[in-house]
Amino acid sequence: MKISSTRHSARPTRKRHTVILFSAGGFTFAIEAKAVDEIRETAGLATFATRLSKVEHSLIRQGRRYFVVSAARHFRIKETPTSRLMLLAGVPVGVLVDGIDRMQEIHSLQALPEAFRGEERNWYRGLTVIRGHVVPLVRPEAFLSKAEITLLNASVCTSERAAAVTA
Amino acid sequence: MNLTLNPETFVLFPLGKKRFAFLAGDVSELARPDQAQTFPHTTPLLTGVVLRRNQIVPVADVAPALVGPDAPARKFYLVLNRPGRNKAGRTAIPVTGECELTQAERLPVTGKLPPYVCGLLSLQDEIVEVLDLDRLMAAEVRS
Repeated sequence: MKISSTRHSARPTRKRHTVILFSAGGFTFAIEAKAVDEIRETAGLATFATRLSKVEHSLIRQGRRYFVVSAARHFRIKETPTSRLMLLAGVPVGVLVDGIDRMQEIHSLQALPEAFRGEERNWYRGLTVIRGHVVPLVRPEAFLSKAEITLLNASVCTSERAAAVTA
Repeated sequence: MNLTLNPETFVLFPLGKKRFAFLAGDVSELARPDQAQTFPHTTPLLTGVVLRRNQIVPVADVAPALVGPDAPARKFYLVLNRPGRNKAGRTAIPVTGECELTQAERLPVTGKLPPYVCGLLSLQDEIVEVLDLDRLMAAEVRS
C-alpha cells in the first residue's frame, strides 16, 4: 500500500512559468503572466468607499467594474507611490503597484517553508530565486476572495439604488 | 540504588550571556551569516530567509523571545531539521557566538519553565535549557 503525504515537498517544482515582476512597498513580487489581463497607468480610477481597507478605488473598463486593491495594503507593508495598475484575468480585480519591472521565465518554484504560518500561506504560491534574490510568487485569487467580490458587488448595487432614489 | 545514565548529544549555542541547547540530531549545520532576505509575511519570530545549497531556509530569530531585546549581534546560523519534517521544515536560528557539541544526560524540567523547554542539562557551572523549536515558535504564534 502506498501512503501519500499531504505535506508540501521542499523539492522545487521544475515546471516553467512566465511571470511578471512587480514592486510594492520596496519589495519585489512575481505574478504569473497569464493571470494578468492588462497593465495600465493609474488614470481613470474612481474613489470607492468600502469596508475593505485595501480597496479604495474602482475602475470602469469596457463597461465592467474592477475593484482596485492596493498591493501595499494587501501585504501590510509601507505604502509608497504607485504608478501602475494590473488588471487580473477572469476576475473584476485590479492591483495597484509601485511599478512593473519585467517579464521573466522561472524554472523552479519552491513551496513556502512550513515555518511560515501567517497570512503569507494564502498570499503566495511559493518562492522562486531570481538572480540570487528570493521572490514570492503571489496567488492572484488572494487579492480578493470570491466572497469579498460578492460583497463589493452588493455594495455597488446598494449605492447605485440609493443614488437612483435620490435622483 | 543504581542510576542508569542515558547521555544524549546536544549542540550548545550562546545567545548573549546565556547558553541554550538543541538535540544534536536536529541540527544539520552551523553556517556563516549569509545575507538574509525578506519578503512580506505575518509570522512572528521569522525575520527572513537565507539560501543554503539551493534551498530557501527561513530564519527564526529566537533571541528576543529567549533573552530579551538586548541580545548582541548574531554571528552564525544554526540550521535545524525540525523533527518529523522534510527539508521544507528546515529553519535557521541566528546565534551570537560559537557552538559546542556536548554529551550529557537530559534532566526533567523542574519548576516553572516555559513549555518550549524540554529538558535541562547540568554542566560544570551552569544549567542549560534544552529547547523544542516547534513549541517555541508555536508559543510565539499564540502570544
